[in-house]
Order: sequence, then structure tokens, then C-alpha cells
Amino acid sequence: MPHDASVDGWRIDQLLHSTSAFVLVLFLVMLGWMLLSVLRHHERQKAHFDRGDSPRGIAAVLGVSAALFLTMDGHLFVGSVRAWRDVFGNFAAAEKRPGAVRIEVNAHQWAWTARYAGPDGRFNTSDDIVTLGEIVVPQGAPVIFQLVSTDVIHGFNVPNLRVKMDAVPGMVTQVWLEAKETGEFEIACAQHCGINHYKMKGKLIVLPRDDWEQWAAAASANSASAYDESDSEGHWGWDWAAHAKLR
Amino acid sequence: MKPSSLRHLFSLDHKLIAKQFLFSGLLFLFVGGILAMMIRWQWAFPGSPVPLLGPLLLRGSGGAISPATYTTIFTMHGLIMIFFAITPILIGGFGTYCIPLLIGARSLAFPFLSAASFWTFALSLVLVVLSFFGELGGASAGWTSYPPLSTRIGTPGGGQTLMTAAIFITGLSTVMGGINQVTTVIRCRAPGMTYLRMPLTVWGLWLTAILNVLFVPVLCAAAFLLLLDRVSGTQFFVAGASAVNGGGDPILFQHLFWIFGHPEVYILILPAWGMVGDLLSFFSRKPASWYRGTVYAMCAVTMLSALVYGHHMFVSGMSPLLGQGFMLLTLIISVPAEVMFLNWLRTLWRGSIHLRSPMLFALGTIFVFGVGGLSGTYLGATTTDVYLHDTLFVVGHFHLTMAAASFLGSLAAIHFWFPKMFGRLMDERLARAHFAITLVLITLVFSGQLVAGFAGQGRRLFDPYQYDFLRHLRPLNRWTSIGAFLLFGGQLLFVYNFFHSLYAGELAGPNPWRVGTLEWTVASPPPIHNFDVVPTVLRGPHELADPQVLTALGRDWIGQAEALPGEASASEPGAANPVLA
Repeated sequence: MPHDASVDGWRIDQLLHSTSAFVLVLFLVMLGWMLLSVLRHHERQKAHFDRGDSPRGIAAVLGVSAALFLTMDGHLFVGSVRAWRDVFGNFAAAEKRPGAVRIEVNAHQWAWTARYAGPDGRFNTSDDIVTLGEIVVPQGAPVIFQLVSTDVIHGFNVPNLRVKMDAVPGMVTQVWLEAKETGEFEIACAQHCGINHYKMKGKLIVLPRDDWEQWAAAASANSASAYDESDSEGHWGWDWAAHAKLR
Repeated sequence: MKPSSLRHLFSLDHKLIAKQFLFSGLLFLFVGGILAMMIRWQWAFPGSPVPLLGPLLLRGSGGAISPATYTTIFTMHGLIMIFFAITPILIGGFGTYCIPLLIGARSLAFPFLSAASFWTFALSLVLVVLSFFGELGGASAGWTSYPPLSTRIGTPGGGQTLMTAAIFITGLSTVMGGINQVTTVIRCRAPGMTYLRMPLTVWGLWLTAILNVLFVPVLCAAAFLLLLDRVSGTQFFVAGASAVNGGGDPILFQHLFWIFGHPEVYILILPAWGMVGDLLSFFSRKPASWYRGTVYAMCAVTMLSALVYGHHMFVSGMSPLLGQGFMLLTLIISVPAEVMFLNWLRTLWRGSIHLRSPMLFALGTIFVFGVGGLSGTYLGATTTDVYLHDTLFVVGHFHLTMAAASFLGSLAAIHFWFPKMFGRLMDERLARAHFAITLVLITLVFSGQLVAGFAGQGRRLFDPYQYDFLRHLRPLNRWTSIGAFLLFGGQLLFVYNFFHSLYAGELAGPNPWRVGTLEWTVASPPPIHNFDVVPTVLRGPHELADPQVLTALGRDWIGQAEALPGEASASEPGAANPVLA
């Protein structure tokens, strides 16, 4: 697996690995049983007449199935629900934390365009920072992404930060992450989106908080000069608050 | 063409229609396999000319695969394998062939409908072939055909339109076949053939047919609406922000598609489950362990199959609450699957295991299904799925469960019923060699996909090595591809064995495997009316190694309609046909 540079990615990794332990044991049991049966009960042996429907046999089958369900599946279910409730689906807590950054992403064939609200905190205004292909975020703060697409379905995927969410035309989806480490990480498109799907690469650049503040101030100052009131295509941003209660 | 051969071609005999389905399925399995080899070539040696096929098929790009061609190749590989290879082999072929013979019927309930089903299917095959030559390219939106990509916005080519129509038409064919098979099982069972005396094969095929009748119409509806979006400017699935201003909803298509799509994976594997359940018993020479439990488990999976589809859409912006519900239901479906699996394993225990070719392929089926099923655990949960969604891990998972298991299941079925269909046995030594090569390589190839996916490799990437974090996977992919090429080459053994045995195989006789289900009581191949006298069934399908039978008849098996000395052979018809045994 790619190196985990996020604060909460371990929750996913840990569940993956504990499930792997279960899976490996079951695989070995299955393989062992099959091999042993074939070797021990070969065709020169007499078959033992048994319909396998004695109460004990049935109880054993049901018991083993139930036990597997409660341990392996139960572990996965509880772990997933918890991780979702506490972290990955808990946008309210992420939004409330000081220093949280909001970014609107417009996915389109075949690139990622990102929009930051700028100093006024409102989207679709002249101080918005708009970047193409590169998304710059601070280290150690929640970064909340709202995603749209303006053509076909794309999948916003940052493997190093254990984040994946589709961008669907006609609706706004959201996902959040918090980077533990600084550095450059690849953004990939997860959903087949046409001929150049494989080239729909972006870069997520994680900077230390101070550096990021500096970058944001400079970028926002620049963006005012690039702002064109009459360019309606360029104002694809939306009012964040209107989508505060997203699914 | 002579009138007699025309009559032959448009026969209403279910056994002949089944062979028509089987041969078309095998032909398109070959086409789908070629496409798979091209995908594997691209991942192993991106951009280099494809040997043999390149100069033949890809002249425009110097023999190499272009990104546009690549999207068509993987789209067509998926669609062909699912709808035009596995479906006709297992459901059209063995469903049509086995159901009447195994329940003691002289034909399907509606002979004309089964012929209509095949010829409708043949029409869809023509569209599939034509779609490769569509103006502006073939179908390329992926087998899932998610809009808006699958509308004219993403894929303006004529090929996509033709394929959408082909799916609609093949759906009609499947529904016709399904109605026929459901009715046949309900209405045409021989006297005494109660539901709980039916071979597991019939259970698997029947449940499949029920799912087909219920859910393929949903696919047909989705394909039809998509077709309207493509050709007549409607906007069912076209929504958009600035670039396209449709009023539809692309997610609606995903719901329709997966309400069909998840039952579909059970549609493709249930026939193989049933067959494997019978074969494990036949070749262990003992009854299937807890037959009723297996039947109930298969019914439970069938019922749950439509309630879990949401796990395909965990990252589509679905509400987390809905996601949790689907996660729970998805994990619950593992319980009946475990019951069935444990019953298979218990059937083997203390048997007298005859490792003939059908048994080998049956064991191979449960092995790859076991590996694939275990890999599915990760994908059923929202949190772990976030990382693995849309990676090769998913691809490896469904290839193990759906492709490898139903492929090996089909091979088990072919080796088992070949003598009944054609009157001759397949060569056992060639079959064993073919089995060994196939099982080892198919496991390695699809496990290679699991590993690559766990490392993060996304699916449907023309050149995965565009990404730095995937670059180190090139050797893994290359080795996996080499395994796939050898796997493909190894199938030549099967092709040779199949056609050679067709003409020169050892004569089989009516019952080469010494088992008791009804199809083995008639000649091989069976007469056109199947049974001279409709049998009266007295017992279940797996009466093997019964000490009573051993003493009375001196052999370890007894026919389902065969009376023991002193046993009443034909009880009154009224009493012999209660609904449950």
C-alpha cells in the first residue's frame, strides 16, 4: 500500500490488516480441509454413508457460520461504523475545528480545478484562489472538499491520504482529510471518465501551516488581477453554506 | 440448404437449442479471452505493438493499442464475457439442456419460446459484432456504462449505441428463457419429483431463472432509457452543472444498474453452485451433506441478492446511513454462503473421492470461489471499501468469484454432461493436464490483480505507470500477464480435447459416471422426446453409498426413479406429488 500521510488513514489500514488476518486463517483452513479430504478419502477408500443432517451436524454448520459472522464481519462492521461516525463522515466536527480549510473542486475531462474562498470567506468572488491540477493544503488541519463535475462522473482519489469520493454531475459530494506529513502526493481519477482517464492526474501539495498561509495570501492577491466579471464560465463556484447539510 | 437441415437449425428441441447456446457462448468466450489478452499485454508492455493480433486488428496505430482502442477493449471484454459468454453457456446452454432432463420432463414448458430466446440472442450477437465497426469507435464507457459517459456527451460513437441496443435485446432473450425455465420447473416435474428431490443443479438453475425474470427487466429498462438518451435527445440520466444542462440524474442509472447488477453476479454463479453441489456428492460417492441446508442457503442468497446492491455505490455520494444498511446486509449474505460452503466441505469428508475431470473442476470451482469470496469481505464494508473501491482489487475479486468460478464451473459441467450431450467421453488425461494448468494459472492471474489492487492500482487505466506510486508494480503486472498468456494458451488443450472427443471419444453409454439422476437413465445422447416412459421419482438425487442399496443391488448408487426390490415403484399419482417431500 502507498505510504499513509494522513492523520486518520490508520483506521482504514488497521481494519484492512485485521480482516486480512481472518481471511488468511480461513483460507488456510479451507485449503487444508480440501487437501486432507482428497488425500485421506481417496477412491480406494469406502465412502461413509452420511447425509450430514444430524442435529449435531446442522448445529456445527450454523454455529461456525454464526461465529464467523459475529467475529469477522462483526469486527469489520463495528470498526467501519465507528470510523465513519467519528471521523470520515463527521463533517460537522471537521468544519468546526479552527484552521479548517474549505475547497471546492470542479472535476472535468481531464483535470481537477480547485477553488478557495480567499480572505472574504465567500466563494465565487474576486478574491477566490483558483488552481488547475494542483491543490495546496496546510499540514495538520482538516481540509474539506466539496466536489462537482461538469461533464461525466469522476473519482477524486488521493491514495496516500486514504481518500476517495466520486464527483457526479448535478450534485455536490464531499470528503475531508487531514495531512500528517508535508510533501507532494498524487491525485488520481478513480472512475472511468473517457479516453484520457489514465492521464487525469493532479497533485496535492501539503505545506507547513505558515508556508501555506503565505502561499494563500500571495495567490489570492494574484487572483484579483485575473478575475473577469464577464466570464460566466469561470464562476462555477457555489455558495458553501447552501450545501452545509450534504449527504 | 436442404429443408431437413433448416428444420434442424430452427429446431424446437431443447437439447439442440442448448447446444446452439453452448457453441455461441464458447465462441464469444474466445473473443472475450482475446480482448483480455490485449488488456494484459497493455499492462505488461504499454504502448508496444501487440504480437500476432496487432498487425491484424490494429493497423491504424502500428499494431499498438491506443487509449481510445483500450477503452473499447475493456468495455467489450466485460460485456461479452458476462452477457454473451457465461450467460449463454451456463444458463442458455446448461439451463436449457439440463432442466427438462433432470426433472423428468419431455421438453421445456414452451418449446417455441426457447427457440425464440436463442434467435433473439443471435440477433444481439450480430449487434455486438457490428458495434466494433461503429462510426466514431466502438462502445467504450466500461461494462457498467455509467452515464453521462455512456450518453453522447461522453461516447458519441455508434458502437456504444449498438451495444446498448444489444444489451436490451439480449435482456429480452434472457427473460424469455427465464420465464420458460421457471415455468418448466414449477409445472413439468415428473411425478414424485418434489422440490426437495430436485438435484442441486436444478435448484441453482431455477433460482437463477427466477432472478433473471425479476431483475433483467430492470436492466432492460435502464438500457432502453439510456438508448433514448442517446438517440432521441431525452435526458433521463443527463444532469449537469455548467457544461451540460440536463434535468436527469446519473445516479438513477447506477441504482437501476446495480439493482440488476448485484443479482446478476449471483445469476452467473448460482448455476455453478448447484452443479458443484451435485458433483462433489457424485464423485465423493456419498450424499450431499445437509442437502436441505444447501437448498435453503441458496434460496437465502437469492432473496438477499437484491438487497445488497448499494455496496457498489459507497463512494457515489450515498448517505452514510444508507451505506451502513447496505454494509450490514452485504455482510449478512456471507452467512448462507458459509453454510453452503461448509456443506460442500463436509460432503468431501469421509467420502471415496474419485478425482475424475468433472470432480477436479468442481474442486477448482470451490477453491477459486473461496479465495474470491474471502477477498469480498473487505469490499462489503464502507471504510475498507474507500481505499479499495475502483482498484484492481475489485477486479480481482469479481474475476475470482464470477469469472474464474463460473468458468471452472462451466468446465465441470462440460466434462460431466459431454457424454450425455454427444454420446462420447472426453479424454481424461488431456482433461487433467488442462485442469492443472488452468487452476494454477487462473489463481495466480487473479491473485496478481488482488495484490496490484491492494497496492492501489486503479482499474481501467491505459497506462498505470503514469502514476509514480504505481510504477513499482510493473514487474508484478508483467508476470501476471505472462501467466494470463499461458492460461489462454493452455485452453488449446481443452479446444483440442473437446473437438477430438466429439468425433473420436470413447463411447459413453447411458451412465458413465454411475449416478442416479434422471438424465443418466436414458441413452446418450437422449432421444428427442427424452423419456420413453415418464419416470416416477422415488428419492432424492444423491442416494450414494446407502448400505441397504449396496446389499440389494450390489452397487453404491440407485436411480431416483429406481425401486428397490419390495419397494412400491409407482404409488398413486395424487399422493406422489405433494409440494414438499
